[in-house]
Amino acid sequence: MFGKAASVTGMLSLAIGITISGPALAQPVDTALIDTGSANDWLTYHGSYKSYHYSPLDQINTGNVRDLQVAWIHVPGRSTRGLQSMPLAADGVLYYTGSHSRTFALDGATGKVIWSYIPELDEALVARQTHSPYNRGAAIGEGKVFVGTVDGRLIALDMKTGKPAWDTKLINSQKLTVGFTGAPLYAKGVVVIGAQGGEWPYRGPIFGVDAATGQKKWEFLTVGGTDDALKTWGNESWRTGGGGGWMPGTFDTASNTIWWGTANPAPLYDWSGPDYKTSGARPGDNLYTTSVIGLDIDTGQLKFYHQELPHDAWDFDSAVGEFVMLDRDGKHYVIHPNKSGFIFVYDRADAKVENVWPLVKNINFVKTIDPKTGELIGRRDFQAGKVAEPLCPHISGGVSWNSGSYNPATGMYYKLGQEWCMTLEVVKTTPITEPQAQLNLGAVFKIAPPPGGEIYGHLDARDPITGAKKWEVRFPEPPLGSVMSTAGNLVFVPDSRGTVHAYTATTGAELWNHGDGLGHQGGIISYAAGGKQYVAVVAGFGGMAADDYAPTFGEPYKSMPRDEGVLVVYSLK
Amino acid sequence: MPTPGFRTWLWVAGLIVAVSAMPARTQPGNSPSGQSAVDVQTLFASTCGFCHSDGGRAAGKGPQLMNTTRTDEFLRDRIKNGKEGAMPAFGQMLSDADIDAIIKYIRELKPEGQG
Repeated sequence: MFGKAASVTGMLSLAIGITISGPALAQPVDTALIDTGSANDWLTYHGSYKSYHYSPLDQINTGNVRDLQVAWIHVPGRSTRGLQSMPLAADGVLYYTGSHSRTFALDGATGKVIWSYIPELDEALVARQTHSPYNRGAAIGEGKVFVGTVDGRLIALDMKTGKPAWDTKLINSQKLTVGFTGAPLYAKGVVVIGAQGGEWPYRGPIFGVDAATGQKKWEFLTVGGTDDALKTWGNESWRTGGGGGWMPGTFDTASNTIWWGTANPAPLYDWSGPDYKTSGARPGDNLYTTSVIGLDIDTGQLKFYHQELPHDAWDFDSAVGEFVMLDRDGKHYVIHPNKSGFIFVYDRADAKVENVWPLVKNINFVKTIDPKTGELIGRRDFQAGKVAEPLCPHISGGVSWNSGSYNPATGMYYKLGQEWCMTLEVVKTTPITEPQAQLNLGAVFKIAPPPGGEIYGHLDARDPITGAKKWEVRFPEPPLGSVMSTAGNLVFVPDSRGTVHAYTATTGAELWNHGDGLGHQGGIISYAAGGKQYVAVVAGFGGMAADDYAPTFGEPYKSMPRDEGVLVVYSLK
Repeated sequence: MPTPGFRTWLWVAGLIVAVSAMPARTQPGNSPSGQSAVDVQTLFASTCGFCHSDGGRAAGKGPQLMNTTRTDEFLRDRIKNGKEGAMPAFGQMLSDADIDAIIKYIRELKPEGQG
């Protein structure tokens, strides 16, 4: 299936040495193209529906990456809280978004602005939001570029001109406070986008919108979205349950299924003690929070799910990261990271757990997760009051919401892990919904180093299914951006200090690095334009996890601006 | 009606003092707890603590509040109007009495375990 096709392409490209096609035929970006992947392009957030964050291009490779240099840069402006987006590329045009959902189409070879679209947001609402005004990227399909806004809208722009085709309000953000920070996903005539929600007292909707008209087709409530799910929320706690699906998943064309990750329940920290099924702020398993779900793309009906963390009491969402569609020995898998740092390996047919393995060392919210069943063993459920032993990982997670990469040529999964913990005191809170929804955390807390050690981050090369480690590179401060690997046998990692690194994918040897001037907390892609391969990365540091870096680590974070951003594009001379 | 005597005036004065000493009655949708002024400890655990670590005792995503040298006016303005990209504006959510209570809480913050 797809995995085999990709590795054949990878092998061919290594053999031939050039995979860049000749004069680009303007193929429409449609489901079929996104599904098979297009070597010169990056057509969806995760690269293709396979979700590999991998480029089959190898014009840039281990032999010449030392000569990689800046080709051009673009400054999007008004980069409040830095840049967090994944660029896209189609037919030599690069599309990307900045803060406040500013959207740009640039000539991929020169950086020349083809068009820009600056949506007008409800500024008074933005001023009242916590996570605003991030934007993590766009989707493309059917001649349109789709982008969400923090004031609850999904906008479609004409791909050629940037003129708005439709602008649909999906959430009453004025009331719910939240909107959309994540990139949407285009597939089969539908644009799917999920709301922020975990900390917020509502029900975390995910929407399917008609790509042509902007009409809402369906809405799935991640909190109590079915009758069975409602039963898992005692004392009507589903009314203020949190949830959401704030990063894009992927699409399995073979089964017409959207795979999506859902966010944590609210309050984040419960005071139930061990008896979480019958006491505390939200008694029960709290479906379908902190789950991976399979939805029918046409109807939004739930087909299957696996709740990665039943009664998540630690804010370790499933809304993060990639959904690697991998085939091995005749079996079809989906590999998905949970924010806690556990990696889940699923059967693609029904999300049955095939394996669970830990990416990070410092995990103590559970003793372990049963690799055969996904059952949490030795979970720590707190009562109100100070928690004696620090909780690991920290609320920023064992992994970021950004993505790792699967390289079909090496068979390795390249993923960033974060080693940090937190002290906390759990406090009983009451959800606030008037006049506008407010955060409902349930604890006061502080970042702490791991027991007996320092905070650090690491890039691992692992077998995606077994978790067996091939190599590891350590960083003194955890990198927060996405990872990309290529057929040139390279892994690219943009770090928090502002340096982009290129490593040999097979061995982890560092071959090249370059300073972008700002820390990274967003995406990195590769594409071709005019017969030449480019690597594009966003730089700009200032999101929620990044906010802890200055007080924790000092420089360069202390003097690093938090509201600046730049798109840097590299190529060989 | 006869001119109010001294005792009447005393009673009225007492009433006026009593009424003005009552914490401000909340308007619907004003103080989130529905009480006269917000419980600041709980507010930190639900909302402020996302960025102000350890109840405001430590710098984290947001600055340390304990021992801040900022004036009351600065704090009031910051809480009401926020700071772009850094702190949300809470003016719609919190009444003046709520903000008074928060400022009082900040001024009284001590390291862990000290009152």
